[in-house]
Amino acid sequence: MAQTAVRMDESALIRAAQAGDQSAFEQLVRQYDQSVLRLALNLLRSPEDANDVYQEAFLRVFRNLHNFRFDCSFHTWLYRIVTNLCLDALRKRRVRKEETTVVETSDGVLDRMDTVEESRAHGNPQRQLMSNELKGRIRQVLEGLTPRERMVFELRHYQGMRLRAIGETLGTSEEAAKNCLFRATQKMRASLGDFV
Amino acid sequence: MTCEEVRNNLPLFLYGELSFDAEDQLESHLDECELCRSDLARERTLHAAFDHAELTVTSDALRASRQEFQSRLSASAKGHDSFWGNLREMFTVKFHMPSVAQPIGALALVAMGFFGARFVPAGALGGFVSAGVADPIASRVRYVEPEASGRIQIVVEETRQRTLTGNMGDERIQRLLLTAAKDPADPGLRVESMDLLKSRPEMADVRSALLYALRHDANAGVRLKALEGLKGSAGDPEVRQTLSQVLLADKNPGVRTQVIDLLIQQKEQPQMVGVLQELMRKEDNGYVRMRCQKALHDMKASVESF
Ligand SMILES: [Zn+2]
Repeated sequence: MAQTAVRMDESALIRAAQAGDQSAFEQLVRQYDQSVLRLALNLLRSPEDANDVYQEAFLRVFRNLHNFRFDCSFHTWLYRIVTNLCLDALRKRRVRKEETTVVETSDGVLDRMDTVEESRAHGNPQRQLMSNELKGRIRQVLEGLTPRERMVFELRHYQGMRLRAIGETLGTSEEAAKNCLFRATQKMRASLGDFV
Repeated sequence: MTCEEVRNNLPLFLYGELSFDAEDQLESHLDECELCRSDLARERTLHAAFDHAELTVTSDALRASRQEFQSRLSASAKGHDSFWGNLREMFTVKFHMPSVAQPIGALALVAMGFFGARFVPAGALGGFVSAGVADPIASRVRYVEPEASGRIQIVVEETRQRTLTGNMGDERIQRLLLTAAKDPADPGLRVESMDLLKSRPEMADVRSALLYALRHDANAGVRLKALEGLKGSAGDPEVRQTLSQVLLADKNPGVRTQVIDLLIQQKEQPQMVGVLQELMRKEDNGYVRMRCQKALHDMKASVESF
């Protein structure tokens, strides 16, 4: 409640930032930067890479904000920048076949990313073991999706964006975004079917 | 819709992304088909498992990214490629003011205020920061006076950016937060400062800053934060008096609702009944009326005064 109350009207904020008001620019960044960092972290599964995307994305926003003409929402404009950066990083990674952050051990999947997440699991240890294993599997399956499938899934499932908005952000149609999501969920269901 | 079509559409169904017709057909199929209902249950489990696999951003990570961005921004503004840079162009090219061109440089303008440094009265710093040689200077043009000769006189105000660290127990940090809590230019800063200060409601300065903000801050978000800070001291007579006045005067229904909640925390408050009854006479927000009515009910008081 307090959060919404202090929010200046967004277009007023943008205009102020375009006119050189740094505190408006700061507020604008702060309205979105947590979601941006979360998206990058989940897509790239590396805090360092996520931070790189954060830095580059907001520097681009800073340099190009004067070109923003309100012909789409600021969210769409910002996410075009962010998703492009993430897709580039994912594609490069695919080419280089970089080692992933997931390490197989005798106990199953151990993930160094566990240090960056809040522990949500509780309940009995058996269940927790199962859920950790499932978590690891989900992440592996996510790694197996194409960058675009991955992106659409993240934007729909974790960022809660509508397919129409996703299409607009990724420069494609709602229908194409829907197909991407469909393929992603099919693949995930196929690989995780024995877990649920 | 066949079972296979239903199965294929379940993910889109869960995301609410099916067309109206498709959703309708799918739902009527589900009503009839137990197999597909169990598929839906599995799909839901999978959906929930995805939630579980999400990585969350820690506040430390966010803070580190913000800090790094701040310094990168300052560095990037040294070049001419930013729009703050245009300001420097403007001053150096059009006005030919070599003496002030430097402090009005893009770096200086960016350094001012971004993610940390704010204008604070000189006294508030109290000499507890060391003067770094490389401290960026932030400038603001306060006054512009064209002269008949074609020369222009500009008065520039300069402040220096410092980074200060300390914990809430640090008296100097407290003093700066108290100043920031009243920064008229920045409601976001007031909220953040208030949020930190409210952990120390036992301090007299903090208490009066919270009361002051509750009465006078133009921003409802700041007033709500101040209310949060006063939660523990709702029994204090001065606080209660302010709360009663705010209840009858504040323009924001959210604030009024919170005030009611605070006031009725305290049992045995006969004078409360009068305030609430007065509110009932003038309140036109339905939700606030409802809360007020309920509070009066709970106190076994009549809704109207006679
Ligand atoms: Zn069926």
